[in-house]
Amino acid sequence: MRRIGILVFCVVVALLIVIPPMANGYYRSLFYITLLYVALAYGWNVISGYAGYFSFGQVTFFGLGAYVTAIVVTKTPLPWEIGALLGGVVSAAFAVPLGYLMLRLRGPFFALGMLGLARTLQVAANSMGITGGGQGLFLPPGSNALSVYYWTLAIAVLAFAGTWLIDHSAFGLRLQALREDEQVAATLGVHVTTQKVYAFIISAAIPGLLGGGYAWYLTYVNPVSVFSTSIDLQAVAMTILGGIGTVWGPLIGGVLISQISEALAAQYPQAFLMIFGGLVVALLVFLPRGIAPACAAALSRRRARAKPAEART
Amino acid sequence: MHPALIGQLTIDGLLVGGIYALSALGLNVIFGVMRIVNLAHGQFVIMAALICAALFDWGHVSPFAVLPVAFVGALIAGALVQRAFLRRLPEDLASAETTSLLLTFGVSYFMLGLGFAIFTGNFHSVPYLTGSWSIGPFSIAQARLIAFVTAAIIALLLAVVLRYTAVGRSIRATSQSLQGAMACGIDVENVRTVSFAIGSGLAAACGCLLSTIFSYNPQTGDDFTLSAFAVIALGGLGNYAGTLLGAAIVGLAISFTGYYVSAQAAQAAPFVLFILILLVRPVGLLGRRAA
Repeated sequence: MRRIGILVFCVVVALLIVIPPMANGYYRSLFYITLLYVALAYGWNVISGYAGYFSFGQVTFFGLGAYVTAIVVTKTPLPWEIGALLGGVVSAAFAVPLGYLMLRLRGPFFALGMLGLARTLQVAANSMGITGGGQGLFLPPGSNALSVYYWTLAIAVLAFAGTWLIDHSAFGLRLQALREDEQVAATLGVHVTTQKVYAFIISAAIPGLLGGGYAWYLTYVNPVSVFSTSIDLQAVAMTILGGIGTVWGPLIGGVLISQISEALAAQYPQAFLMIFGGLVVALLVFLPRGIAPACAAALSRRRARAKPAEART
Repeated sequence: MHPALIGQLTIDGLLVGGIYALSALGLNVIFGVMRIVNLAHGQFVIMAALICAALFDWGHVSPFAVLPVAFVGALIAGALVQRAFLRRLPEDLASAETTSLLLTFGVSYFMLGLGFAIFTGNFHSVPYLTGSWSIGPFSIAQARLIAFVTAAIIALLLAVVLRYTAVGRSIRATSQSLQGAMACGIDVENVRTVSFAIGSGLAAACGCLLSTIFSYNPQTGDDFTLSAFAVIALGGLGNYAGTLLGAAIVGLAISFTGYYVSAQAAQAAPFVLFILILLVRPVGLLGRRAA
């Protein structure tokens, strides 16, 4: 079973490598946006799904990565890939002290603290000289969208594989334990703070790495485009739809929802926000566990039914 | 630093803080009873303010006349959100505190999209009562003072309702102890709906009062959620008297950073203050550590 899974995984990745160069511009950008949001959803899923700390400000790191890349590209002769990598490193490094400070807060305090942080950085980017103020920074045009696509594909694959590893590791169990009850986890010997900070670093590095590609793809960054919490909204909606705190959830939710958002975002931005907001509400009320756990439950029921049948023959 | 200037900034800050207190009190009533933070709270503030702006543009309707209507409208909308969605959250999923955060996050974006669809993304403001009174070396904007007095009256009414009416008593009882309230035969589900309604109504009232002071578009809703939360985080969740202190601090922070740093920085002042305070005292200035 596991071997089949790995085979399918390799085939899908190979297809994702081969198809886009042949596809036209529209489908190429659809592939890119889908992978971008799948990866963002994976990033959000670690700290919020596994560790249970809902953050509405992970976009902070996305914006940080985007700005670092924009500054590297416009102020130095280095290629954007170096900038994007640096953006990821800066985000992860920033997440260490930030994690130790913010993760002392719980529930709504943490959630709103992160939202406030994203807003603060947005205002800062709006008023500083190096970030180009409200106008933002313009990157050289004629950029190669395909290189951004492969960059994002690599991160999405890593994020998926990383989540699979977390899900099957003691680290993942420790995160889930502290999600259910932090005090009990601590008494069982889980070094709660360290584990939370590790999770937070992962959840910061992923958007940090993605932000640079986004900046290169759009060829500009400004405070509204890269620090917007509606980016977090989408990652949140995707993760909940697919199944929060699961390996497959962000992938399923991300692939499904990107198609809607791609169709709506440009043409009907208001309807887009209303639909996404409404979707989050409806999902929580009607399908709170998401698609992945529902599928898993159905699959295990089928297996349970199949087993006795095998025994008889 | 000129003493008269400091006095002026203090007056401005306290007046704005007093108006902010109204929305923060609403958020705090909801938190006290339901132990959840309504992330759509600022959207109720901004919706009311935008309606005031639209009505003023249309027929010079005074925001103070809109206030009671907006209050009742938000009362109904708030009750609906609680009845239709929050109450239906599955109880076994996770703690109500965290799941409801996601839910109200969704509600806030729904309202944001609605706001954009109706009022566009342009900034609005109500040019009403633009004069000012001068008292000694200070000048006091009429709109601010009248809005402040109105806010104070509404806050006083809230205090009376909470203290002397049956509804108020059951709200306070449920805030103190859910089990205790249930044991006394209080219909807790009903109390939740009532407090969510009152909280949303207060947010809308605050929005009407702020409509003459700031300029805003639907996007600024999040800022009002954050600043209201900053106020109650400073004053302590569930602590109504502390809310007033928190509001004064936030108001002063806004007015002083606005003058000494920049208008941009004043926008971010409540969040920076709030993050700093939470880092020193994760339960707020006057908050008690939850059991």
